Amino acid sequence: MKQHLNSFVMADPQKCTGCRVCEIACAVAHSEHDHKTVGTMDQPLIPRLYLVQTDQSTMPVQCRHCEDAPCLRSCPVSIFSREENQISANEEYCIGCKSCLLACPFGAIELGGSSQNNPMHRVIANKCDLCSGHASGPACVASCPSQALRIVDWADERKRKQIAAANQAGAVIKQFRSMGEE
Amino acid sequence: MSGQHSAVTIDAEYCTGCRRCAAVCPVDAIEGRQGEAQSINQQKCIMCGQCIQICSGYASSQDDFYDTPRAIKLNERNMPLNLREPLFAAYYRGDFQTVQAVLSGQRFHTIVQCAPAVRVAIAEEFGLPLGRLVPGQLAAVLRRIGFSRVYDTNFAADLTIMEEGAELVKRIKTGSTLPMFTSCCPAWVKFVEDQYPDLIAHLSSCKSPQQMAGTMFKTYGATLDQVAADKVYSVAIMPCTCKKYEAGRPEMKASGYRDVDAVLTTRELAYLIKAAGIDFRTLPEESFDNPLGLYSGAGTIFGVTGGVMEAALRTAYEILAAKPLAEPDIKRVRGETGVRHVTVDVGSMQLNTVVVAGLKNALPLLEQVRAGQADFHFMEVMTCPAGCVSGGGQPKMLLPVDTAHSHRQRTTSTYQHDAELPIRKSHENSAIQKLYREFLGEPLGHTSHQLLHTHYRSETRG
Repeated sequence: MKQHLNSFVMADPQKCTGCRVCEIACAVAHSEHDHKTVGTMDQPLIPRLYLVQTDQSTMPVQCRHCEDAPCLRSCPVSIFSREENQISANEEYCIGCKSCLLACPFGAIELGGSSQNNPMHRVIANKCDLCSGHASGPACVASCPSQALRIVDWADERKRKQIAAANQAGAVIKQFRSMGEE
Repeated sequence: MSGQHSAVTIDAEYCTGCRRCAAVCPVDAIEGRQGEAQSINQQKCIMCGQCIQICSGYASSQDDFYDTPRAIKLNERNMPLNLREPLFAAYYRGDFQTVQAVLSGQRFHTIVQCAPAVRVAIAEEFGLPLGRLVPGQLAAVLRRIGFSRVYDTNFAADLTIMEEGAELVKRIKTGSTLPMFTSCCPAWVKFVEDQYPDLIAHLSSCKSPQQMAGTMFKTYGATLDQVAADKVYSVAIMPCTCKKYEAGRPEMKASGYRDVDAVLTTRELAYLIKAAGIDFRTLPEESFDNPLGLYSGAGTIFGVTGGVMEAALRTAYEILAAKPLAEPDIKRVRGETGVRHVTVDVGSMQLNTVVVAGLKNALPLLEQVRAGQADFHFMEVMTCPAGCVSGGGQPKMLLPVDTAHSHRQRTTSTYQHDAELPIRKSHENSAIQKLYREFLGEPLGHTSHQLLHTHYRSETRG
């Protein structure tokens, strides 16, 4: 059975202004209450994507949901699993060993904060879960004022590029033929 | 406390240079290259605080990778030292610690006033729905925080209408400078002073409701309570960052003392409530104190764009047409478009009015006035996009998607409050009538002139 490739969120550094609205949207989407105003935010904002600003690039970095996920292979207590085309983490069982942090080539996992539901666990692995369970999809994508973020579904992506390539080639050949007929 | 005290600032340590603030700044005061920390040109800034509302360059309460510790930032910003909400790059220096210290001491007779837009926004800081109308809980909480007198800016808004309405009628009848501009919005007033000093004569000489209230508290109000004016500490709760500057203007001491001692924003009031350990959601509904807390529907709609115009028309109509206005709702002046021209038939004449929401929208009209081509009598300008309900000191939305919705909900609640109040016109407010009978005499009279009207200046800084 051929499985679909994992999807992931990707930013376009050409469009990203570095405003960090995506980080706030992510943190709010993953907080327990429906926070609307800054004044109600009485706990740290803990996002799962991170704006990076360098001389070369400005964009947020987040989990790539790797097919052969190093985090999944590195975790001694197997909190990571592959389900519904993403790598998900069962934070409840995280022991805070930081193996995944070392393994992740994108720096997309953060250990920090304690889960409010589980006061036993002082540090837990946080990573992008593609806002699973949210009807409107990833909060970062929906909130970006510059539309710099999108969900990459590789099958759609390939299809779209193939159609564009075919259209482009078709137009060139048509033009070439019509020149020959003159 | 000077005007400078209240400057709006961008913290270079938190700013990522996204420049979204530059896109909303009405006076192009934000300077810097894309991707680098921005700074505010203080000569241009009118302190409207729209940059504060849009800023998303944050530092979370757990972040420990900034050079300056959070406690130092909180202190610099005059915020509660145990505050856990995220801090943002664009901010204003507050007055929280100052007011908290005054309230915990027993030295002063403290009088508080509350702007119209605060009662449709403060509940949001306690997780209640955006725009929830809570005048009763607001009065109750101010009393529990420890203010000796809980008065209301809405009362002073009614007073403003008495003076400003009379001023408009006088200008029309005597053929003096027209069009007249409203003067309630301190950012707008500062903008005219800075950028259009040749048009200063068009500004109504009326002080803003905040300053009228402040003057009344330390004169008439102090007498009522039998306290000396120098024992009164007057606090204004405002949706606005520029009101802090306005209160600090050197000429604002008609009572013989600084008329408004401190201004807190709606957000800062929420800090006070939380610091006092009060559960806002379970408060009973109480009334503002009489007489300087009694208000009409006209007073409360000052909080929304078009509100000052509608309130003024409810009164000016009855003066000019010399007959009662049957329907107080003048819905044509309401709306969300940036410039709204409305002509009102007042019997003896056609009164041409313009309502402007968002300062940039006033520029073409100012050019018309400058060129002598303005075809209107009266112009209301509010710097913020939906009027004071969208002010720079209002609860800040975490996400941009909620901003427009919050403005709409607060506006709807403001009109709902107006519609439900027993008195809808400023001149029918019995406390206003009593104030004129006992103390002021008549609108534009000698006492009014001394206490309620002001002069403007063309220098950029006082």
